[in-house]
Amino acid sequence: MSESPEQHATDVILDSIADGVFTVDADWRITSFNRAAEQITGVSREEAIGQRCCDVFRASICESECALRETLDTGRPTVNKAIYILDSAGRRVPVSISAATLQDATGRVIGGVETFRDLSMVEELRKELEEKYTFADIVGRSPAMRQLFELLPQIADSNSTVLIEGASGTGKELFARALHSLSPRRDHRFVAINCGALPDTLLESELFGYKAGAFTDARHDKPGRLAIADGGTILLDEIGDVSPAMQSRLLRVLQERVFEPLGSVEPVEVDVRVVAATNRDLGKLVRKGTFRQDLFYRINVMRLKLPELRDRREDIPLLVDRFISKFNRLQSKDVAGVSDETMAILMEHDYPGNVRELENIVEHAFVLCRGGLIEPHHLPPAMRGGVDSKPGRARFPRTLKALEALHIADAIRRHGGNRTAAAKELGINPSTLFRKIKTLGIELPEREPPNQNQA
Amino acid sequence: MRVAVPTWTGRVSPVFDVAKRLLVVTLDGGGEISREEAAIEEGLLTARAKRVAQLGVDVLICGGISVPLEAMLVSAGVRVIPHTCGTVEEVIQAFASGRLTDQTFLMPGCCGRRRRFRGRHRGGRPGFNT
Repeated sequence: MSESPEQHATDVILDSIADGVFTVDADWRITSFNRAAEQITGVSREEAIGQRCCDVFRASICESECALRETLDTGRPTVNKAIYILDSAGRRVPVSISAATLQDATGRVIGGVETFRDLSMVEELRKELEEKYTFADIVGRSPAMRQLFELLPQIADSNSTVLIEGASGTGKELFARALHSLSPRRDHRFVAINCGALPDTLLESELFGYKAGAFTDARHDKPGRLAIADGGTILLDEIGDVSPAMQSRLLRVLQERVFEPLGSVEPVEVDVRVVAATNRDLGKLVRKGTFRQDLFYRINVMRLKLPELRDRREDIPLLVDRFISKFNRLQSKDVAGVSDETMAILMEHDYPGNVRELENIVEHAFVLCRGGLIEPHHLPPAMRGGVDSKPGRARFPRTLKALEALHIADAIRRHGGNRTAAAKELGINPSTLFRKIKTLGIELPEREPPNQNQA
Repeated sequence: MRVAVPTWTGRVSPVFDVAKRLLVVTLDGGGEISREEAAIEEGLLTARAKRVAQLGVDVLICGGISVPLEAMLVSAGVRVIPHTCGTVEEVIQAFASGRLTDQTFLMPGCCGRRRRFRGRHRGGRPGFNT
């Protein structure tokens, strides 16, 4: 296929620009597809040429208001329309598109040209700024996460109070935001307040607001977070750390949906969906007497328990992928992934800090890694090295026996050392479990190890 | 078994997240028993997945579908066959006769990862092996 020099020059020019460009003929079949188009859509030029453009481009407007169709019909070019396309991996890629007609020498329309720009970086920045996360931002294919995904829509639909339990760094706020974005309240505010970080007096004024003159230096009325969240959702984070006095006030809000701002006797009604989060075992606190039972029952209407990262190791590669994409965009880098050896190290780590810790580890690696793959020496010092800091923890197991040992140890740990409960979960007889512990040489903690929940 | 295909101008709709019409065909023993058209207005993914499940769909054959929506459908017990393109009639015929894995029905750019036939209840389901 011989090309004229002009055609060749055009091709070179098109391939050197960052925006995707493709052209279609009068039958909507793709006649050219530049390099950037290949990269953004994930479809190669060979596969794209000759295909219907909607089958390649897969845009959110293909059916309803295809920009090319409108442009070809009206003769008016489209400029900078923001939409999304689905790439070959099923990911939504936000793009801004422009379309124009292609005419021959006599001015007859023979096709169209569409250019599109990848807005992922902009989206990522916006998300960081506005913290507007959605369902799609939660990553996980493990059974534990699947169960949560199944529950999410129904819980989101209802107005009932939700309690999200999970260790530090498991994504409680992320889930709360996802719930909000799936709920009918998504067009109103989502407000988060950390109840554990503030002393009562400050918490009160933050939550309920105050009227001018309520105390020294209260010059103006200030609305509390509850009032700001009216119509929307409020997240009461670390609710287990709240003082008994504050607990009674919260109970009243939950029961009657009214409160008084400081310095006012006028009750204010509020229509807020309450989500509470904690990394404590609230049931235990109730038994101990430090948390009110009536408040507990008000909060515990629906409960979401977030798994620790070590209980969903199969999600680690997915999470690593997600973090790499995110940091690549935010830092304009081109890290390709992690090497096999690095992945092995990441898979065997215990993650007391859960997902947040994993994200920090990847961010750390990004500082040291210029591009290409992340190698073990890019990881934080505590993670590398042949000698493991944790006794009894083997390298990520490859043999069936080693995998079995790891799985059994995990199950026993999850049940606080209770062998019988672990055997039940594993679907084997307790005596079989004891036999395996012996033959596989599994080292275990004593029954009921000390509670590891950190405030 | 009830097989659903989102349609647009007689072809499989390219993006299921925004497809407006769904053709639901009841198949039995390789032959079609009945078909009906349903309109899907829901924009919110969770509502969309719910609607499909409520229509009693066993298998959804679609074009592009975003990962969260696919996950929701699978959680709801619907088997999803993505990355399909072609005319609706040909696709249904191909599925009924087990030929849907042919290259011709595969959306461009998707052969790197062969279509994953994902669905929770594959085990006990009688009928088609595609």
